[in-house]
Amino acid sequence: MTALITLTGVNKYYADYHALREINLTINAGEFFSLLGPSGCGKTTLLRTIAGFESVSDGVVMIGGKDMADVPANLRPTNMVFQSYAIFPHLTVAENVAFGLRKSKDLDKPTKAKMVEEALTMVGLAGYGKRAAHALSGGQRQRVALARALILKPKVLLLDEPLSALDKKMREQMQVELIRLQRQVGITFILVTHDQEEALVMSDRIAVMFEGEIGQLADPETLYRRPNSRRVASFIGKMNFLDAEVNAVSEEIDVTVQGLGPLKISAEQAPEEVSVGPAVAGIRPETLGILFEGETTNRKLVDGVVDEVVYYGDMTYYDVRIDGVAQPLNIAMKNLIGRPVLDVGAKTRVIWDERSLVLLK
Amino acid sequence: MLSKFLSSENGRGLLMVSPPFLYAMLLMAFPLIAIFLFSFWTQDFMTLDTTFTLNNYREIAEKPIYGALLQRSLFVSASVTAVTVLLAFPVAYFLSFHVRPDRKSLWLFLITIPFWTSYLIRVFLWKVILGYNGVINTGLINVGLIDEPLTFILYNVNAVIITLAHAFAPFAILPIFVALEKIDRSLLEASQDLGESKFMTFMRITLPLAMPGVVGAVLIVFIPTIGDYVTPELMGGAGGKLIANMIQTQFLALNNAPLGAALAIVAMLCVTAISLTFVLINRRWLKGRS
Repeated sequence: MTALITLTGVNKYYADYHALREINLTINAGEFFSLLGPSGCGKTTLLRTIAGFESVSDGVVMIGGKDMADVPANLRPTNMVFQSYAIFPHLTVAENVAFGLRKSKDLDKPTKAKMVEEALTMVGLAGYGKRAAHALSGGQRQRVALARALILKPKVLLLDEPLSALDKKMREQMQVELIRLQRQVGITFILVTHDQEEALVMSDRIAVMFEGEIGQLADPETLYRRPNSRRVASFIGKMNFLDAEVNAVSEEIDVTVQGLGPLKISAEQAPEEVSVGPAVAGIRPETLGILFEGETTNRKLVDGVVDEVVYYGDMTYYDVRIDGVAQPLNIAMKNLIGRPVLDVGAKTRVIWDERSLVLLK
Repeated sequence: MLSKFLSSENGRGLLMVSPPFLYAMLLMAFPLIAIFLFSFWTQDFMTLDTTFTLNNYREIAEKPIYGALLQRSLFVSASVTAVTVLLAFPVAYFLSFHVRPDRKSLWLFLITIPFWTSYLIRVFLWKVILGYNGVINTGLINVGLIDEPLTFILYNVNAVIITLAHAFAPFAILPIFVALEKIDRSLLEASQDLGESKFMTFMRITLPLAMPGVVGAVLIVFIPTIGDYVTPELMGGAGGKLIANMIQTQFLALNNAPLGAALAIVAMLCVTAISLTFVLINRRWLKGRS
């Protein structure tokens, strides 16, 4: 893996607003990288910094080993798919796609036309070249924007919330297509999104950003299973938090979790450095379970009372109150054959396992 | 029956549109028809001879003065339009792209300031600026750049062009500004992202998308300047008179309304033909690019 983009100590100020704080980041060639975070976290600013639309107040942006400080956006080896797609309304689809080819003087007209048709075929718009740009649907606009960027064979394709304007079905379809495209062309993709599911599905690695900082940078599985802070844990998926007290730290961690009692967990389950004293134990809803009538388990059990039931069809989400914990536990259960949906107030038993705990500060 | 019709959707629409319709008929259509009819009549000293004749048009075609005046009028209008639009574009561009959004309405307001005084007063002001002992001449003499007052800036075609270009500036700035405002700024970023410099982005994105505004500005300036006779009367001197002055002279001084009407019709047809050609060429040009 070779580093393609390196950001070192990047800061960005707007007047007295600190939009990017000390960003250090390496993105590898051929990687599908995502910048994930709530709105206003600086992810789009970071993307625009790489594209060259924003200057950095402080720090160095390198692409392909070259410092980009004095390189304007039009000379950078990056191309962008804008959130609004930015399709030129006065041009046809083919002219939009061919827009960036004007400077390739060594290519003759038929070659360019062939490249345009290939690019359109690649995004599933073969034969759409003559259409007027303003007559396209949202999904088609996005494909044109993709073809227009990819035809230039950039080193990096930047995608600014490209799927946020599409409906759910279309979005899921485009997610799969984007992954396929990225594998096909082998170009580094940097995706900006606020949709955690989208980031998890598509990315090789994800940087989660909060308030101009990178909170955690990891592959999707690590990010989901071993979040390094409460804010990352609660931004990505759902997580139950239980107060805990760390008693001793060695190769194993000796910890007392409220409602679950004293237990030992492995050091890997504490991504943040923890020391003796108060901490927080996190546990995902789908790693908890409810013991239904007639089912057995060799896992640990704790008594509880159903507080809330939300039925989703394939899943049922329960809030279950257990002794000694103020906040009810959120539990996700698959509606398998023979399983009833419990009523509010029903007495039940919660299945849990200390291996699914993550210990946070 | 009638009350039922008037309460229906169509009836109410008709009711609403009829006052302005009558007004327009009275002030636009009737005078136009009258002018059209007059142009085929003959003035017989105090009375009008209403037998149909093409003599007025024949006279216009035969006497070179009318053709020359019309030509000069078209030249002046074209120059005024070119000067106005070329100067208005940078102003509109600055306003749209470089003025802070919360200041834009203030700037628009400032641009309309020339309208606060009467058109006539503004024309006289230009006389003061451009005159033999005017601001420009005394200024340049005092600075020592010239020894004698410049004479080519007043009482000729140049003075007419300068004055009209100033008078029509806001009419050109506003439509261009509106067209520029409508351009999605991410299009400009997209163009740069695709490798184009700022200048080429202007040529390939900003200018084509601003064309509807430019076309609007050209028509708004070109059409009324042909008919203007106040500015050439006051600023044009002997060599700066235009077709509109001739029409006025025919109607009032020479008491030959039919010939004046025929001249007006010819001028109108010229303007219509040129405007339509311009719009068509522009449409073809835009289509050819898209």
